[in-house]
Amino acid sequence: MSDQETVLKGVNAIKGGPRALRLYMDVCAKCGTCAEVCPVYYGKQDPKYNPANRSDLIRSLYKRHNTLAGKIFGGLSGAKDFDQAEFEEWQDIFYSCTTCRRCAQFCPVGIDNSVITRKGRTILDGLGRTPARLQKVVKTALDTHNTDGASADAFNAAIAFIEEEMREEHGVDIKIPVDVVGAEYFYLPPSGDALVNIEATMGVAKVFHVLGMGDKWTMSSKCFDGANYGLFTGNDAHMKATNKACVDEAKRLGVKVLLMGECGHAHRVMKRMMESSKWWGDLPFQVINCMEWTAEQIRAGKLQFDKSKNPESVTYHDPCNFAKSCNIIEAPRVILRAACTEVREMTPHGAENWCCGGGGGLAAMNEILEFRMTVSGVKKHEQIKATGAEYVATACANCKRQLAQLMEHHKEDIAVGGVHDMLSRAILVDGKAANRKCYD
Amino acid sequence: MSNTAFLVGGILPYLAVVVFLVGVGYRLRVWWRVPQPAPMTLYPTKGSSFASLAKEALFFPSLYRGDKTMWLLSWSFHATLALAFLGHLRVVTGLLDRGMGSVGVGAPGIETLSAIAGGAAGIVLGVTVVTLLLRRIFVARVREISKAPDFLALLLLLAVLTCGNLMRFGGTHFDLAQTRTWAASLLAFSPVVPASPAFLLHLFFAELLLLYVAFSKLMHFGGLFFTFSLIKGSQP
Repeated sequence: MSDQETVLKGVNAIKGGPRALRLYMDVCAKCGTCAEVCPVYYGKQDPKYNPANRSDLIRSLYKRHNTLAGKIFGGLSGAKDFDQAEFEEWQDIFYSCTTCRRCAQFCPVGIDNSVITRKGRTILDGLGRTPARLQKVVKTALDTHNTDGASADAFNAAIAFIEEEMREEHGVDIKIPVDVVGAEYFYLPPSGDALVNIEATMGVAKVFHVLGMGDKWTMSSKCFDGANYGLFTGNDAHMKATNKACVDEAKRLGVKVLLMGECGHAHRVMKRMMESSKWWGDLPFQVINCMEWTAEQIRAGKLQFDKSKNPESVTYHDPCNFAKSCNIIEAPRVILRAACTEVREMTPHGAENWCCGGGGGLAAMNEILEFRMTVSGVKKHEQIKATGAEYVATACANCKRQLAQLMEHHKEDIAVGGVHDMLSRAILVDGKAANRKCYD
Repeated sequence: MSNTAFLVGGILPYLAVVVFLVGVGYRLRVWWRVPQPAPMTLYPTKGSSFASLAKEALFFPSLYRGDKTMWLLSWSFHATLALAFLGHLRVVTGLLDRGMGSVGVGAPGIETLSAIAGGAAGIVLGVTVVTLLLRRIFVARVREISKAPDFLALLLLLAVLTCGNLMRFGGTHFDLAQTRTWAASLLAFSPVVPASPAFLLHLFFAELLLLYVAFSKLMHFGGLFFTFSLIKGSQP
């Protein structure tokens, strides 16, 4: 099939749903509010970054072939014929939307442009036009069950290293159980939190240890990455296959709780998509996030901290997938307020916070670093700077990567890290906080 | 009664109303039937989804949070449009008059109120529609997403309300009694059409607008109930 046939087939399928997409083809009033609140358009007022224009790439084709006005009046109705030259720009344009859903929060007619962006990406994926870097991540994840392509041995070595670090910090053994069938909790972070940025996983391990639940949880050497790039590439089959491996592992381990790590999209796919829509039927476990769980322990007064271990002023960046799509807004703040001397808020914060500029898989794309630093990340940089904070905590591997690069690009002396990272540095284990070496 | 007058005042009204009702009904039915396989709640959600829906439809709180200037413009335009629509009900029913009468407002009072409220509505609509049009021409982020139908909708509205305003502020003031006779004759399916050109022109553009609704983005007035129920829908 030619590009034209494939594209039109995908676009015309919108007629049958989903309902959201079908509505978005019909009801946009072209008022320009989405552009006003979009992090990408804020960074550069280029017509191709205007959300309504991006969505119109699909909308105008849909109108041409699926509406009476479009069939009869063509261009006068806002419809357009397929144009190969324009299609060549689709990849660039649909991968310049961070799918943060901020437009949907302010759109007077309730349009969520991220749904249209994902549709565009689905069509691109069907034609093999997903950016090479993301294709590679998806393939790696399907082959190895983690986006880093790490082996079980590499994972086990990393866990041994983390345990060693914790022994040095606290002088006691804090275990990270691996592959324990019959455990209650299965902790599933983004792989980076087990292999590279290990402090978040240290934090979770310390919480279990302090609660006397060191033998009640487990990680898996076969499944240690919640990341799911099928969400970003618009490929539902890949998204579900990646997800199924994790769900099957949770079932095999026989856990009661799937404890998702600090990874926004992973939690969203697991909680708001898989669990809500019952992809695999009724589940023998529930899905909760480690931040919700830890915050609950703090509220119950079960964890104590030495805040002086985190003397720097901290601000929290809300990952869009956590705040806008999963309503996890307060929990990370409960943890940070308990563990840090000073927590400052961005303006705005919570669900209306601005995207880091690397959402929707963009943070993984090195080839668009310039765009992420000088366009999509501009607002975030301004927001962080305005708080005067010395440390940005966030709960998403993609946000972390984007923010760290952003701070480096703009030569800001501001550290970036996770939420449980700060907890790990200040939590009292046997009455003492970590005797920490510097990781930064 | 000329042929043109009869077409505008005796035939098109039926056609416009039927196309509007059937068209809008069809669009709503399609939206209702198309499946939505997955929930897509966008937080924060406050209170019941019905309450949020009603609030969005009546006060545009999302827009208010996003763009206050546009909110002022958009809300005053839509609210005044609703007010003008209510005022036009006086043409087909004496209900409003009787209601006012029952709270002690006599015929002259009603006329004064109609003149003030109707006149103000006409002016506000004129100002807001022209501002929306200017915004579409001069504000870059709006200009670059505007296409023919976006201008068409505004120009049609402008035509309707300009003729309407002419009948209030211009030389030939509209004749309520005559218009009521016309409306009653339409309902009796034996149209008697007034000859006033301003009236016929106003009516003609209004009919075009009605005919246009179901085929255009103006359907957002019905669509927003669906779109907002998708993102404001509660999810545990």
